[in-house]
Amino acid sequence: MQKYVVRRLLLAIPVLLLSSLIVFALMRVMPGDALTALMGESGNVGERELAKLRKDLGLDRPYYQQYALWLWQMASLSPGDSIFTNEPIAVSLKKAIPVTLELAALAMVIGIVIAVPVGVISATRQDSASDYVGRVVAVSGLSFPEFWLGTLVITFAAIWFHWIPPIGYVSFWESPWRNLQQFLIPAAVLGFRLSAATMRMTRSTVLEVLREDYVRTAWAKGLEGRIVVYKHALKNALIPVVTIVGGQLGVLLAGTVVVETIFALPGMGRLTVEAILYRDYPVVQTNVMLVAATLVTLNLIVDLTYAWLDPRIRYS
Amino acid sequence: MLGPHARLNRRDFVRLSAAGVSAAAVLGPRHRRASAAASPYPDWLPASSKSPKRGGVMTRASAWDPPVIDPRLTQSVGTFQFAGLTSNRLVRYPFSDEASGPADLTLKGDLAESWQASSDFRVWTFKIRQGVKWQNLPPLNGRELTAADIKYCYEQYAKEGFQAFTFQEIEGMETPDKYTLRVHLKTPNTLFPQNLAEPIAIIFSREVLEEDGDLKKRLIGTGPYILKEHTRKVRIVLQRNPDYWDKGRPYVDEYVILSTPDAATRLAAFRTGQADFIWVASPSEVEVVRKTNPQTLVQSYHNTLAPFGLALAQDKPPFNDVRVRRAISMSIDRQKMVDTVFEGHGILGWGVPYIYYQDSQPTAKDFGPWWQYKPAEAKKLLTEAGHPNGFSTTLFYYEYFPQMTSEVQLVQQELKKNLNIDIKITKLDYTTYYGRYVESKWDGMSWGFQSGHAIGLDERTYMYMHSKSTKNFFRVNDPIIDELTSKLRRTPERAEQRAITKKIVDREFDQVLRMWMPYDNGFLVFQPHMRNVSAGALRRTDGYGSPALARAWMEK
Repeated sequence: MQKYVVRRLLLAIPVLLLSSLIVFALMRVMPGDALTALMGESGNVGERELAKLRKDLGLDRPYYQQYALWLWQMASLSPGDSIFTNEPIAVSLKKAIPVTLELAALAMVIGIVIAVPVGVISATRQDSASDYVGRVVAVSGLSFPEFWLGTLVITFAAIWFHWIPPIGYVSFWESPWRNLQQFLIPAAVLGFRLSAATMRMTRSTVLEVLREDYVRTAWAKGLEGRIVVYKHALKNALIPVVTIVGGQLGVLLAGTVVVETIFALPGMGRLTVEAILYRDYPVVQTNVMLVAATLVTLNLIVDLTYAWLDPRIRYS
Repeated sequence: MLGPHARLNRRDFVRLSAAGVSAAAVLGPRHRRASAAASPYPDWLPASSKSPKRGGVMTRASAWDPPVIDPRLTQSVGTFQFAGLTSNRLVRYPFSDEASGPADLTLKGDLAESWQASSDFRVWTFKIRQGVKWQNLPPLNGRELTAADIKYCYEQYAKEGFQAFTFQEIEGMETPDKYTLRVHLKTPNTLFPQNLAEPIAIIFSREVLEEDGDLKKRLIGTGPYILKEHTRKVRIVLQRNPDYWDKGRPYVDEYVILSTPDAATRLAAFRTGQADFIWVASPSEVEVVRKTNPQTLVQSYHNTLAPFGLALAQDKPPFNDVRVRRAISMSIDRQKMVDTVFEGHGILGWGVPYIYYQDSQPTAKDFGPWWQYKPAEAKKLLTEAGHPNGFSTTLFYYEYFPQMTSEVQLVQQELKKNLNIDIKITKLDYTTYYGRYVESKWDGMSWGFQSGHAIGLDERTYMYMHSKSTKNFFRVNDPIIDELTSKLRRTPERAEQRAITKKIVDREFDQVLRMWMPYDNGFLVFQPHMRNVSAGALRRTDGYGSPALARAWMEK
């Protein structure tokens, strides 16, 4: 197992290097730079002033130098400063990561809490009314885009209840109640979306497992239905579900920008999108690398979880 | 309405959904489209006759985040939605409780008590207000402001950053005493104080710049509010400055600006009382808000200019031929755009604020023959110019607001239908658009702009139209315009200024140097307890006109 983990970690190095090269190149291919964005709508800048500002921001250096410097900064875990705001990137990340993590974690919990029981009920009562309701809910979750659902929720909450989640992020430690008010609705929007795929996967794998010989044996032994389903069938049925959930967590870390925007949460998504729009190269590059590293790690964790869920799986 | 190159993107869809959902939920089946007639709301909310009440927290959900807070390095509305409250200018435009109406642009002293020019308008002397203190924060600790502070600040503006062009007009400055600043200009300029009254020309502190090397972390001024907190993408908190020189003001204890990038959320924030005022673009949106919040105060905003228009590469064929420019102008039905895209609440489009040359808003007739919708004559003119079968060209733009895309597509359709001009549209992100546009090397067409912050006549004429100006994005290169805009700077008499400005505008329209397009008027919507919040011409209180909020108060 140890060897397997070490090999996977070594394999991650070329993946991360390739990712770094791609994101670095893509950012340079995009027209404009941080200075252009910074200029706002002025035209009050002469060529000399522009050149000076560009030099101050390090944008006049050759690309290979910019890339080498950035790699060095990443390797030494000191990603440098935003060229747009001068704020150390580590500080920006320290503010944004907890927001996205909290949102993702709550969304995952809500998603799983909805998906697994509904999926199991749907499978165990196949073609019944509850199965159809569950499937409709799942299809709805897959069909409603987050931006539409989020906008709908916030608009109707304002009209019907004269209430929306308080705007202006506060951390959980500052005010747990206010923080939860801010996060529960966006997490529910995300969670509803996530639950759809998980629910469908749970339903189909539980259906499959319920037809296995060992489950038939359990029924034949006269075990209680709940024990057959939850103790014998569900554990095996969860293996593909874990894969889905693992993938979803990675997507959540990088893809909550729409919900963050609608609910005014200052997470990783908004940080990255703003940095792309402002051509804040170091911030985009660092964020992308962080997401890439997280995905690599999550994939490893998912693979290792397989072994725990299914003792037949062994890595060597 | 969607042209062959147009796509309904996520943002469009959200907006349409939000509008649809809101309208459906609030208005129900009885809803009819908002009237295209004139707005039923006043264009000016007079100052309250009651004694202002102290206290309270004023909140606004804002679309804008400050990119940086250093006023030398940005002219973004995100920064100046609050920087004019932390800092003063030397002179300013009147606030809502002292202005006679939205078009009142009489200059008032801010940090200057009085000012006068030499007979040749090259030397301007400002008497600085005594007893003004910097905010009581280190390293200034409430020390007194002197003329030397203002001299230093203007020198820094001239040295680097985005206001350099304006302040490089200064040849030298002297401070004969603690409260006198004498400014020597390189060339006469009767409009110089207007440039110092621009919302971006705020006075910052020497000590902070010297200690930090820039102003990206701290903005300490002499203004009515102290910047208590700036958390990017979360909030800006401004706290009342107890030592403000204008005794008794400001009235509101705290002004909180919440970063709220989504339009539907901003609207929801206003509806639920989380925001005290909001900007909406169309009459139907006002109607939607008033269905849930019937007591709101509404100011029907009237723009005195359009900041956007069709910019042509007029230094290159075919657009260097005035007949082509005139033909294009005559083939666009601007009134149709106002009626459809802006629901009747918009302006036809012109570039110099009309208040500088006439009393009433221009009508289509005032623009002259080339601005009337006459497709048959346009076709004839294009044929005379040697393009009987039209031609192909390109147009790039950035969608500043959703209606802009509709305008671009309408222009594309009308030029195809009336002149057989094929336009390939490219919609760009802001940075790409901006970089390409200001570089001024593009071919074809662009949906061009002039800066949103500028109020002064000098900015709107010389700065944007003189061939040597770095702000001449529309690539105007007309010797008569150069002469007139320079002459305007040497003209002190108001009546003569108006006459010259009219000549500039007439020349611009006749030669179709900048092809202005319709623009919305919009509405400012306030909670019923808000007082003294009316926005003046070119000075929306939620944006560059924020300094006026120093006079706002809340009756609750």
